[in-house]
Amino acid sequence: MYLTGDFHEMQAAATAILELKANRFSLDDLTVYSDEPVEFPRGVLDRTSRMSLAAVLGAITFLLLATSFVYFTQRSYPLVTGGMPLFSFWATGVIFYEMTMLGAIVVTFVWFLRESGIFPRRNRGPAPAVEPGWICLRVRCEPNQMAEVTHWLNRAGASGVKKIGEAE
Amino acid sequence: MSGEQHKPEHRWGMAIDLDRCTGCQACVAACHAENNLPVSTPDSAAKGRAVHWMRVDRYYEGEFPDIRVKYMPVLCQQCDEAPCEPVCPVYATYKNPEGLNVQVYNRCVGTLYCGNNCPYSVRYFNWFAPEWDAPLPLQHNPDVFVRMVGVMEKCTFCIQRIRRGKDEAKSEGRPLTDGDIQPACVQSCPAEAMVFGDLNDPESKVSRWAQSGRSTRLLEELGAKPKVFYLQRAK
Amino acid sequence: MTTAQQVIPYDEVRSDLWRPLTRVSTAFMVTLTVAFVVGLSGLIAWGYQIHRGLGVTGLQRPVFWGFYIVDFVFWIGISHAGTLISAILRLTDAGWRKPVTRAAEAITVFALAIGGMFPIIHLGRPWVFYWLIPYPNARILWPNFRSPLLWDLTAIVTYLTGSVIYLYLPLIPDIAQLAEHAKGWRGVLYRKLALGWTGSDWEWHALERAIKLMAGIILAVAVSVHTVVAWDFAMSIAPMWHSTIFGPYFVTGAIFSGIAALLLVMSIIRRALHLEKYLTKKHFNNLSKLLLLMSLLWLYFTMAENLTVWYGNEPKEMNVFGARVRGPYAPYFWIMIFLNFLVPFVLLGIRRLRSITTATIASVTVLIGMWLERYIIVVPTLSLPRLASGWTRYGPSWVELSITAATFAAMLMLYLGFSKLFPIVSVWEFEPHTGEED
Repeated sequence: MYLTGDFHEMQAAATAILELKANRFSLDDLTVYSDEPVEFPRGVLDRTSRMSLAAVLGAITFLLLATSFVYFTQRSYPLVTGGMPLFSFWATGVIFYEMTMLGAIVVTFVWFLRESGIFPRRNRGPAPAVEPGWICLRVRCEPNQMAEVTHWLNRAGASGVKKIGEAE
Repeated sequence: MSGEQHKPEHRWGMAIDLDRCTGCQACVAACHAENNLPVSTPDSAAKGRAVHWMRVDRYYEGEFPDIRVKYMPVLCQQCDEAPCEPVCPVYATYKNPEGLNVQVYNRCVGTLYCGNNCPYSVRYFNWFAPEWDAPLPLQHNPDVFVRMVGVMEKCTFCIQRIRRGKDEAKSEGRPLTDGDIQPACVQSCPAEAMVFGDLNDPESKVSRWAQSGRSTRLLEELGAKPKVFYLQRAK
Repeated sequence: MTTAQQVIPYDEVRSDLWRPLTRVSTAFMVTLTVAFVVGLSGLIAWGYQIHRGLGVTGLQRPVFWGFYIVDFVFWIGISHAGTLISAILRLTDAGWRKPVTRAAEAITVFALAIGGMFPIIHLGRPWVFYWLIPYPNARILWPNFRSPLLWDLTAIVTYLTGSVIYLYLPLIPDIAQLAEHAKGWRGVLYRKLALGWTGSDWEWHALERAIKLMAGIILAVAVSVHTVVAWDFAMSIAPMWHSTIFGPYFVTGAIFSGIAALLLVMSIIRRALHLEKYLTKKHFNNLSKLLLLMSLLWLYFTMAENLTVWYGNEPKEMNVFGARVRGPYAPYFWIMIFLNFLVPFVLLGIRRLRSITTATIASVTVLIGMWLERYIIVVPTLSLPRLASGWTRYGPSWVELSITAATFAAMLMLYLGFSKLFPIVSVWEFEPHTGEED
């Protein structure tokens, strides 16, 4: 089951998160919903992201693909132009550069869809409605932990603790 | 088209003796007749759209009455390192193994980049579909394409005559001799100011003319390595 | 200088920025109709050109490139608006960019889409334009990757893909907001585009990471795109085209004209959509300073280019130089200097004269001046080739003028449409307490 608490201040929400983490709730159980991105201090809600690495790998992949494509297509139908060599790195370097960038772009977008849970669609539980300017902290807990969670949320300053949805 | 690197049998070139040229433009007319060049109207000529694969440039020096006129027949120089070739995005122009800068009309998309990069301005574009007043279409050369609108064209060293010459020599079982192949312009020059032949053959007329003391090339400093040699007394 | 800090409440922000989506004023309808008519005439002109051939333009040997290529470079240049404002300012954490980024990113996408049409419009045989695209075919024919035009193709495709994604990503949270309240076809559209956004921290985290990465990538791409466009000219050996400075020169000019376009657009939407609280004097002041900076940078490059040519005194280049500075193109050249440098320098350099009005005036003059600059680069070189027998003059025909005008109309229509679908100022990025007056 899920409990939500609404906070007006980032600091209050941060306190609640830290308290819950200290009481053996994992980061996977905690989700913050808001209308704007909330800048928590380091150590509060750090999620691992491998987007940069993915972008770099995507860029390198596209670079290799582009290089082989240009090389093999020019070899398959060799036509001499302007006395230039048939396969010239510098004459086609721009294309490699652009394709590298395209790789980074495409992979960044795809990874964004993946990391945000949009595609492939992952069921991450019910999403509470959030008023603009408010921060809503959603905690996944067992029914026997309900009282404990409510206690921590209220102590941090939540303005309303509600139960939402059933755990799916 | 194989990618084998073997020394080509022929390397076609042309030499023009400017001291013999009278500027009569018989070469221009012959080229028109041979290669199905569109005939321009006064209107299109005024718009700068006249097509002359071979044109005679006239330069005037001095003041009246001491005017000297220089005639220079300018045609595609069939450069060894043609600047027009690498910029074509679809390979509509490239160098064939015999050194000719070929133009593939079917492939031309009409980006006009090659025309910009030719320092001799010898590339001509079909701004409209070419038209001929009757009965000129009956005169068309069946060995040569009639180009369509939107396609770039230029002098081909009469590649159809080169092919015919090679075919005839082959079917008669003899090697090509110098003078067997003559483009229309060379054939029609009354002053015999032009020669055409195989630069790979050191005994051919064009090779000997090219090595003469009067031999120069147009815009040589650009390094395009043109294969048309102009002979003139040193300035 | 005291700064009054207004705290604009969330509800007001939302209603202010959402109101233009549903309100259709008379001015809007009139503008849209005029733009539509101009756009339609351009389309008809293009159809006529496809039917009869490129001969309907004013082009002639050796001026094989004219208005269309000028327009092409111009519009691709305008597309650098978004990159500079959005990417550079995002990377340097400049807060004042926030109300401006979406307008800038939209300019980028639309300018690219329009500019990208010109490589097709200027073709002699546009119905086979796709031969430039590498696709497997029965003749195993591939395009010539060594040609700068192919570099153009890859660069613009990459940039277009990148800028569409870069426009779309920050739009998602706003679309999700709209999806909650919209009904009918709008509701369907927004719900589809919102991708089920719920505003969870992992979504925000992924979004911010992606936007940050994209900012860096798009910056790298933008620099390369206009460099590649510049290399269409610089890679050729035509006199005064074959210049090593063209890459950075064009990028500078692009950013310059991009900022001018952004200033103009911002000025218009501020008035038309009543966004005075969001697009404040401070934004115009900062953009004006940037415009002035770019004007000086552009002048530096122009001087460097022309001075080296003049001093070098190479005959073929001097022909072109003389034509630009003293000959038939002199009026355009000097008007360009006036519009690109003198007007912005005076109107924006003198503190007392700098205002939103003068900034708008300066941006219009810069846009005209930058178009003239592209013209000065393209046409004189071609009209004065190395062999003097080819020297000629070029003037556009009604077809070229009509199509050029139609591109401006198209930009207008795309932008009007965009402003009716999405809030032009990013709602989620806009902090309610930055309604400052400077």
